[in-house]
Amino acid sequence: MEEMERKLPGGALSSRPLHFIWIADCSGSMGQRGKIQALNNAIREAIPHMVAVANENPNAQVLVRAVKFSNGSQWHVAKATPMEQFRWEDLEADGVTDMGKALQLVAEQLDVTAMPARALPPVLVLVSDGKPTDDFSGGLRALMEKPWGTKAVRIAIAIGDDADKATLQRFIGHPELEPLQANNAESLVRYIKWVSTAVLQSASSPASQTLDASPTTNVPLPPVPEAAPDATDVW
Amino acid sequence: MNQLLKPNQTVRTQTSQTLCTVDHLIGGGGQGEVYAAHLGDPAKGHSQTPVALKWFYPHYLGQDRQLEQRLSDAIAAGPPSDRFLWPQELVRSGEVAGFGYLMPLREKRFSGIVDLVMRRVNPSFRSLVTAGFELAQSYFLLHAKGLCYRDISFGNVFFDPKTGEVRICDNDNVGIDRKAGGGIGGTARFMAPEIVRGDALPSSQTDLFSLAVLLFYMLMNHHPLEGAREADIRCFDLPAMTRLYGDEPIFIFDPTDDRNRPLPGYHDNALALWPLYPAFLREFFTRSFTAGIRDASHGRVRESEWRAGLVRLRDSIYYCTHCGAENFYDSEAVRANGGSPNPCWSCNRIPQLPPRMRLNREIVLLNHDTRLFPHHLDEREQYNFRSPVAKVVQHPRNPQIWGLQNLTGEKWVSREQDGTTFDVLAGQTVTLASGTRIHFGHREGEIRF
Repeated sequence: MEEMERKLPGGALSSRPLHFIWIADCSGSMGQRGKIQALNNAIREAIPHMVAVANENPNAQVLVRAVKFSNGSQWHVAKATPMEQFRWEDLEADGVTDMGKALQLVAEQLDVTAMPARALPPVLVLVSDGKPTDDFSGGLRALMEKPWGTKAVRIAIAIGDDADKATLQRFIGHPELEPLQANNAESLVRYIKWVSTAVLQSASSPASQTLDASPTTNVPLPPVPEAAPDATDVW
Repeated sequence: MNQLLKPNQTVRTQTSQTLCTVDHLIGGGGQGEVYAAHLGDPAKGHSQTPVALKWFYPHYLGQDRQLEQRLSDAIAAGPPSDRFLWPQELVRSGEVAGFGYLMPLREKRFSGIVDLVMRRVNPSFRSLVTAGFELAQSYFLLHAKGLCYRDISFGNVFFDPKTGEVRICDNDNVGIDRKAGGGIGGTARFMAPEIVRGDALPSSQTDLFSLAVLLFYMLMNHHPLEGAREADIRCFDLPAMTRLYGDEPIFIFDPTDDRNRPLPGYHDNALALWPLYPAFLREFFTRSFTAGIRDASHGRVRESEWRAGLVRLRDSIYYCTHCGAENFYDSEAVRANGGSPNPCWSCNRIPQLPPRMRLNREIVLLNHDTRLFPHHLDEREQYNFRSPVAKVVQHPRNPQIWGLQNLTGEKWVSREQDGTTFDVLAGQTVTLASGTRIHFGHREGEIRF
């Protein structure tokens, strides 16, 4: 009998959704010294690497969204988008820093009624260059009241020296993990790439776990890259 | 993107100071980045050899202090076989701090096990089982050298979907067995439960557990511990993983504990694939994930057992006479069904079995394309699938008659059921008839229909 090209029985490996949410500061100060352009650029740079990580990770279906905040907060990418379909539209800077409202928006989407019954820990990445101008504590409380909010891996990137690191630290909620301080475009690219690849990977399948991985975090985090030192454009 | 090395940047090998030029980035992982590069200085008249170059992240070097020593040891020890893309030379750069190493480039014909479990490649069962055999053989050779791998997972194994030949990458965690010094605990889902619990460090014993998980993924396209208990978990975070893979690991097909059975709708691959394999193979996995969990030192299936088991599994493949799909011969099922095999998994009809040859306790299915290899005819021979010693052939004038052609240089002696014996000289063919016994010199095979 002729051998035929046929498929093996069974389908692709069963996997869980992994929600990844960018929470981006678009306040007026982000318009200074090219910060917002650098953020847009860093996320665009990171996307192909994120796609590669998602493709190599059979245990997760990576779904990406983005929230922006300035005067109030809106979804920049509202639909949880499969990684390979994710496209980045540039953010623009204008207005104040309503970070609390952004966390409220994220909290609504992490409610058990909005989330799938079974998932991997969500990854929330907060990027900011300033101090919140609204009720940050209320927003954080709303987020942390949701079980998926407390389970989420929360990373913060501080852009420039005016960023409110104490606030960002409260968002992270783990004393051993500090906000990543990006003082130039090169460092920002490096950190954005780290969260969108190494952290993304860890949240679904902690790859090649190191022996001293901190057991206190919900997800073992890979080592944080160093900031780029030789910067000419310092924020 | 801010890569560690840029195209056309050069590094030099540590021992001979040979120039190596970066071509392009191939990929990045948790420890560093891998580049395509070429070795050799054209200005000095060297011919240039394509190589892979791994360069470590500065922050990783800070974490893994023994890396350089471990790599130097691995380079000095040399690869256990050509299946390993083994470190060849350390390299350094005048411009970039830190170091890297060179290894052979992986050819394009190899796909990842990730591609297999995502069903982006579609090998035959024969290729898949051959890949499993090659992995068992490769880790057998690595352990035989007193080394352990420490991080067996589907991210660092590649295979040729056409032939099942494998390549094992990321050999930079390899170290002397039982010696501390790896910076790594392993990859989630593949680590042995005692490592997940923090009770043990990676060793050749924990490699055995990871190998069994990898083989289970390859053959069942599922994790052996993900059943009802996994389905109950809402957020699959580190505490949940530690419970499932470390504190309370229960095999989904544990014959004495049904608390973690696979559930339809959640674990369909395990339910679909597990029954297709012969009982002896399922028993290997059952032992790996019951006794092998309870007794990490003595309960695990050894590579030599996997090797023999996977060769036996390959020999039990036959083609459905209705649809051509590969099925596995299971003597227990045939006995239980009163002589006929289980229905074909693909067309659900009962196939007619091809002739079989019994060699001691082993059974080889004699398909139209079956080849026998040295170990079939002599148990003292090592596994070697390069040159067949016998092959099934069709009679040139009567296509109804099949035979076994002697490809050795020695004569065989064939004895038919009525007792007549005759010699089968090199190149000659003996007709496949039920009850015929063929003496191969060191071993006898009996044909059965």
